[in-house]
Amino acid sequence: MKAAERRASILAVAKILFADCGYHGVSVDEIAKRLGVSPAVLYQHFTSKEALYEAVLNEIACHRESYVEAALTGPDDFSSVLTRMTRVYVDSVVNDPDYLKMEMQALLEDARLARQFFDSRWKSFTDFIEVNMQELTASGKFSQVNPRIASLMFQGMVREALYAKCIYDAERYQDYSPQELAEQLIELFLHAIGYRP
Amino acid sequence: MTTNVDSIDMELDARGLNCPLPILRAKKSMNELGSGQRIKITATDPGSIKDFEAFCKQTGNELQETTEVNGEFVFVIRKAGA
Repeated sequence: MKAAERRASILAVAKILFADCGYHGVSVDEIAKRLGVSPAVLYQHFTSKEALYEAVLNEIACHRESYVEAALTGPDDFSSVLTRMTRVYVDSVVNDPDYLKMEMQALLEDARLARQFFDSRWKSFTDFIEVNMQELTASGKFSQVNPRIASLMFQGMVREALYAKCIYDAERYQDYSPQELAEQLIELFLHAIGYRP
Repeated sequence: MTTNVDSIDMELDARGLNCPLPILRAKKSMNELGSGQRIKITATDPGSIKDFEAFCKQTGNELQETTEVNGEFVFVIRKAGA
């Protein structure tokens, strides 16, 4: 097997095990056993379990290029950019819910890992919301709402929607696709923060 | 990286901002530049290297320099011709 193929197969198996068992719930030996190789083969590609975990995160995360494209393609007002970014994010989770499972595991088992998820996934959204709200409040496009709390509200509602649709497939929301659910929540969010285009 | 002695026509401080804010600020700033003019952008997000590569790929502008000094990333971008 070529090095690139081997690396990809390691990442694919590690992702499933991290999603099912969490970071601390799986060892390098177990990943190697599942792959049918020796641990030494894994260490040829990744210096540690932590490095492997980070590589899995980077691999399954939505490519940054998609966010750049979402930011640049179309109207550049606050609600349009936020909607397009959210669409990219929702698509990435729908295509690969294992990421969401890894996040849930991280939240339960290790605060440092959970912060890593926040920094690499949610911070783009929370910073985008906060900075825009701070700047636009002065121009009267927002009501007087705390931007930090508003960004937490956004994160909470989108993540919960993805749990409902991609993890436990809630019957309650079966009439909505993940994208429809996210778009309706964004509308509610914009209303709640008093956004005036 | 290429060495370019041309002048810088505009500077943008995107330090402390995460994707997509530096990209959006750069796009807005570059709307004020003429073809061939250059902007220097300073950012602190490590992901900004990939972001500005993607930015230039999508907009057709030329990423002329990428440097890192003490955790700060400096990009020089030349606006594409008409």
